[in-house]
Amino acid sequence: MHPTRRAMLQSIGGGFGTVVLAGLLEHAGLLNTAAAADARAGGNSLKPRQGHFPGKAKAVIQLCQNGGPSQMDLFDNKPELSKRSGQPHPEEVEVFQLGNKNVLMGTPFQFAKHGQCGMELSELIPHLAGVSDDLCLVRSMFTENNNHPFALNMLQTGKTFNGRPAMGSWIGYALGTENQDLPCYIVLRDPAGYNTSGKMVWSSGWLPAVYQGTEFSSSGTPVLHLNPARPVTPESQTRSRRFLQELNSIHLEQHSGESELEARIQNFELAARMQLTATQVLDLKSETESTRKLYGLNSPATAGYGTRCLMARRLVESGVRFVQVFPPLDPSFQPWDNHSNLKNDLRKICGYVDQPSAALITDLKQRGLLDDVIVMWTGEFGRLPITEGTDGRDHNRHAFSTLMAGGGFKAGHIHGATDEFGYKSVENRVSVPDLHATILHQLGIDHTKLTFTHSGRPERLTDPDVTGARVVEKLLA
Amino acid sequence: MKHMAKAILVLLALLVSWCGSATRTFAAPIDYERDIKPLLKQRCASCHGALKQEADLRLDAGALVPPEIRSEILKRVASNDESERMPPEGPRLTAEQIAALREWIAADAPFPENEIVPTKPAEHWSFQPVKRPLLPTSKHEHPIDAFLFGQRDAPPRVTAEALLRRVHLDLIGLPPTIAEQDAFATEGKLLESIIDGLLARPEYGERWARHWLDVARYADSNGYERDAEKPFVWRYRDYVIEALNNDKPFDRFIVEQIAGDELPDASLETNIAAGFLRLGAWDDQPGDPATDRYDQLDDVVSTTSQAFLGLTIGCARCHDHKLEPLSTRDYYSLVAVFNPLQRPHSGITDLAVKVGETDVYAWRETSANAPATHILIRGSATRPGERVEPAVPAILVQQQPAFAPNGEKSTGRRLALAKWIADENNPLTARVIVNRVWQQHFGEGIVSTASDFGLMGARPTHPELLDWLAHWFMHDAQWSLKRLHRLMLTSRAWQAPKNAESVVRYRRLEVEAIRDSMLAVSGRLNPKRFGPSFRPAIPLAAIEANSDKEKIWTPSEEPEASRRSIYVFIKRGLIVPMFETLDIADANSSCQQRQVTTVAPQALTLFNGEFTQQQSRTLAERLRREAGDDVDRQISLAWRLALCREPSEVERTKLREFIERESLEACCRVVLNLNEFVYPE
Repeated sequence: MHPTRRAMLQSIGGGFGTVVLAGLLEHAGLLNTAAAADARAGGNSLKPRQGHFPGKAKAVIQLCQNGGPSQMDLFDNKPELSKRSGQPHPEEVEVFQLGNKNVLMGTPFQFAKHGQCGMELSELIPHLAGVSDDLCLVRSMFTENNNHPFALNMLQTGKTFNGRPAMGSWIGYALGTENQDLPCYIVLRDPAGYNTSGKMVWSSGWLPAVYQGTEFSSSGTPVLHLNPARPVTPESQTRSRRFLQELNSIHLEQHSGESELEARIQNFELAARMQLTATQVLDLKSETESTRKLYGLNSPATAGYGTRCLMARRLVESGVRFVQVFPPLDPSFQPWDNHSNLKNDLRKICGYVDQPSAALITDLKQRGLLDDVIVMWTGEFGRLPITEGTDGRDHNRHAFSTLMAGGGFKAGHIHGATDEFGYKSVENRVSVPDLHATILHQLGIDHTKLTFTHSGRPERLTDPDVTGARVVEKLLA
Repeated sequence: MKHMAKAILVLLALLVSWCGSATRTFAAPIDYERDIKPLLKQRCASCHGALKQEADLRLDAGALVPPEIRSEILKRVASNDESERMPPEGPRLTAEQIAALREWIAADAPFPENEIVPTKPAEHWSFQPVKRPLLPTSKHEHPIDAFLFGQRDAPPRVTAEALLRRVHLDLIGLPPTIAEQDAFATEGKLLESIIDGLLARPEYGERWARHWLDVARYADSNGYERDAEKPFVWRYRDYVIEALNNDKPFDRFIVEQIAGDELPDASLETNIAAGFLRLGAWDDQPGDPATDRYDQLDDVVSTTSQAFLGLTIGCARCHDHKLEPLSTRDYYSLVAVFNPLQRPHSGITDLAVKVGETDVYAWRETSANAPATHILIRGSATRPGERVEPAVPAILVQQQPAFAPNGEKSTGRRLALAKWIADENNPLTARVIVNRVWQQHFGEGIVSTASDFGLMGARPTHPELLDWLAHWFMHDAQWSLKRLHRLMLTSRAWQAPKNAESVVRYRRLEVEAIRDSMLAVSGRLNPKRFGPSFRPAIPLAAIEANSDKEKIWTPSEEPEASRRSIYVFIKRGLIVPMFETLDIADANSSCQQRQVTTVAPQALTLFNGEFTQQQSRTLAERLRREAGDDVDRQISLAWRLALCREPSEVERTKLREFIERESLEACCRVVLNLNEFVYPE
C-alpha cells in the first residue's frame, strides 16, 4: 500500500483530475495498480462500470423527433375521430394557440395493419411499418407542458424547467462508456442549424461537465483537427500533451472541484485517443452499397438524416453509450410542428425520417446489435384531435406515441391506449419519468439509486418521490 | 320519443353522479390536491387567475377563494341559467365536480398551508418602479459590498498579479503587457487608476461591443439559402464600439438604435445606429412573402423587447403568452410600431440606403402615414383579426405614451417607443442593462435569465442590490456604463478569488478573448480598427462537403487575418469552426448569455488547429527575440505574457526540462493551451 500517495490523491479533490493524475503517475511507475483503480472509482470518469445490476442493454440511440409528431396521423388510428370528423369535441380541449375550433378532425391518411403483430400504422411511415414486429409502440404517453422548450426539457431531463442534466448525461455518469476513444454522449444534428433550444438540449446541467453531449458534424469531416495542422511526430505530440496535463494538474490542485477544469483536462486525453479511432469509426465509405441504400443515402430526401442514423449505428457499434440524432430542419427547426398544412408538411418530414429510422432498426438487427441497443423514437408531446385553422393540429401534452425498439423492450407490442379521439392517454398511462426509469432499468440502473448531490439534495433523473416514476414492466420482454 | 330519451339520460346521469359522489365520499374524503386544485386550475383560472382577474377575483388556489363568496360559487356552478352559470364557456361542470366543490366548501375549504400561489402579474417585482433602497448597515463603504456582506468581512483579494490580469481581460479582452505589469509592480498603481486607464482605451469598446452584439443578434450575412452579405452592416458594429468608447449615455444609446433616423437631431451616426433593427436573418426569396414580412417584424419586436426590456413577447405572436401577462394585442401593438418600416432591396439583392454620401444598412421609413396593423389569428398572415394601434405592453403602464406623427417622412412611432423605453420611469430598462453588465463581470447575473425579467424568468438573488444599482445608474451615473463598470470593479466582491462561495464565478473566456489573447501574447495582434470584416481561414476539411463554392470565401491575408475577433466576418450559414466549437452566440436570435460547453473537439481545435500552431511559432520567435537564448528568461517571459505571473519553482524546472527535450515552439503550444490561460483567476 502507498498511504501517502493515496492521501495525496485524495487531497487534491478526488475528481477526474485525480484520475488523470493517477494515470500520469501510473505511467511514470509511481503508483501501484490498486491505488490507481481506487482513484478511478471517482464520480466523473468515462471508464465503463457496472450499473446496479446486470443490464439487458448497453447503449441508447435517441431519435429526437422534436416538434410534436401527430399520433393520430401516424401511430394511433382513431376510427371514432374519423367518423365524427367535423363534429364538435364533446369536451373542452386544452389548446395552446388561438384559432383552434373545437371541431374534430379525422386523419386524412390511411391506416393498415402490419407485421405478424398486426400493428396498425399510417401510410406515411411504410418503412417503420415494415419493422413493426421489432417495435414496442407506447400509445399512452403523456407529459406536463404544452410548450416546445419546456416539453423538450421534460423529455430530456425529466423536468420542464431549464438547467437539469439530460438523460444521456445521467447514463454516462452512471455507466461511463465502452469506447474510451470517443465521447460517451454524441449528438448528430442537421448541419443547417440547431433544433429547438440548441445546445441546451444535451447539457449535463450540474452533473460533471465531462458527461455533456458532444456534437459531431454529419456533413464533411465529422471531427476537425484530429491531426496537428503542422507536422509533429507522434512521440512529440504525446510528450507535449503529457506535459500540458502535468501543468494543468498542478493548477487543478488549487481549484479542486471545478468540474469544467477537470473536464477540460480529460478532453485533451480523449481528443488524443479520438485521433486514433474517430476517422475509422466515422468513415461511411467502408459501408456496403446495400447498407447505404438501406439508409437512403442515395436519395436527397433521406441522405442527411440517413447519414446521421448510419453514423449512430457505427458509433454504438464501436461502444459509444448514448447517441442523439435530430431530424432535418424542414419545414422548420421544429419539423413535426404541424399547426397548419398538416397533410403536406407531415408527409414531407415522414419522407425524410421514416426510411432511415427503420433502416437503423433493420441494420442493428442484422448485425445482432438490436438486443444491446435501445432505440427510442419520440417527440416531446403529441397533437390534438381537433382542427387548428383549417388543416392543422395544435400541441397536446395529454397524449403522444413513442416507439421503442431493441434493448429488451417487447417486440411487436402495443402498450396503452388513448381515448376514442386520441386526446388523452387513458389506459396504462406512461409518464416521461416512467419511460426514463424503464430505459435506465434496461441498462442495469436502478433509477431510485442513481443520485447526484446538488445543492444538498440527492437529485435523480426521475425524481420518483415527486413524480412517482416506476419501471413499466409491461414494456419489457 | 326524443324527450323521453333525454329524460332517461338525465336520470342516468344523476344516478351515476350520485353513485359516484356517494362512493367517493364513503371511501375517500375530498383531497384538495387531487379533486379541487386541478378543477380550479382547469376551469376557473383562465378568467380568475394570475394573468387575468375578471370581477377582481382569483380562484386559482384555495388560499385565494374569499370565504364570503363560497356559497355564490356553488350557486353559480350549479345554475341552470346560462347567463349566470360558471364557467361561462365550455361544458358544464359535471355533477361529480360540483359535488366535490360542495363537499370541500362544507369542510371549510381546506388547502395546504404551504400552497404556492402565483403572484399577480401587476405585482411582479420587475414591473414595479425602481426605488432606491437604503444602504444596509454595514462595515463596508462600498455599496455593493454593503449589500452583499453587511457586517461580515469581505472575502480576501486575489493576488495583485491575478487582479491585474482579471481587470485587463474583463475590460479590454487582452492580457496586460510586460510594461503594464512592470508599471503596476514598481509604481504601486492603484486599481482605480488602472480601471480608468483601461476604460479610456479604444480596446475597451472592442471588447464590450461584442457583448452587445450578442444581444443584438449581429451577423454580417442574411442567412438562408444564399446567405448574402449585409452591405455595410459593419458600420453598425463600429458605431457600437465608438458609442461605448465615448461612453454614450445608455438611454441615448437605446433611442438611437430604435429610432436614430427619427430623432430631431438625426445624424449619420444615429442613422447607422438604427441598423440595430435590421440585423436579423432575411430570406431573400421567401416561399410566402406575406408571412415573411411578419417574420421580419417578429425579429424586430422580439429582439427589441428582449434586449432592452427583458421581455419574451415573441411567444404572443400566435397566442396570448401562456406564462407572461402579454397578450397578442400587446404583441401586434408593438408590430404596429415597426410596421411602417420598409426594407430596401431589389429582388434578391439586399440594399443599403444613402445618408448623405454614406451607405447605411438600415430600414427606411418614408411616410407619416402608417399602414394598418391587425392582430393575426394564430400568427397567420392570411387571417387578419382586429385592427390595433401602436402601444406598449399594457401591464407596464397606467397611461400609454403618445404615438404622434413626426413630420412628413416618418410616423414617429419608434421614437415614441424608444423614449418610453429609455425613460427613467420604465421599471425594466435600467434593471436589465445593469444586470447584463453584472453578468459579464461576475459570471452570473443577479437575475440569471438576463433577457427574461418576466414571471417565468429567474428571481433576483439580491433584489435590493439590483434596484440600488439601477437607481444609481440612472440618477447618479446618468446612464454612464463606464461609471457602472468602475463601481462594480472597485467592489471587494469582484476582487475576490473565484470559488464555490464567492459571488464572482469561474468562467472560461469567450472565444474572441481566447483568440485575441493568443495574438497579443504572440505579438502578432494587428490593432487596426473599424471597417469591413475580415475572413479567417477555414480548414478545408470543414467545407469539403460544401458544393456551393460561392459560400466558401477567400481567406484574408496577413496582417488583416490577425485583427481582433470583433472584426471577424460572421456568416450565418458558415460559422468559422473555431468560433462555433468554442460557443460563439447563435446569431439567429438575441443571445442573453453564452453557453460554456466543455467538449473534446475544443481540445482538438486549440491543440492541433492551424491558428494555435501559428501563434506558438510566433511566440517562440518573440521569446528568442526579447529574452535572448537564456531558457530561464524565455520561460519567465512566456509565463508573464500568458499568465501575468512568474512560474513557480516546480513549474520552472519542468518547463526547462521540457524545452531542452522538445523545443521552445512545443512549449509555447502547451502554454497557449493551459487551463489557466483560458480560465483566468
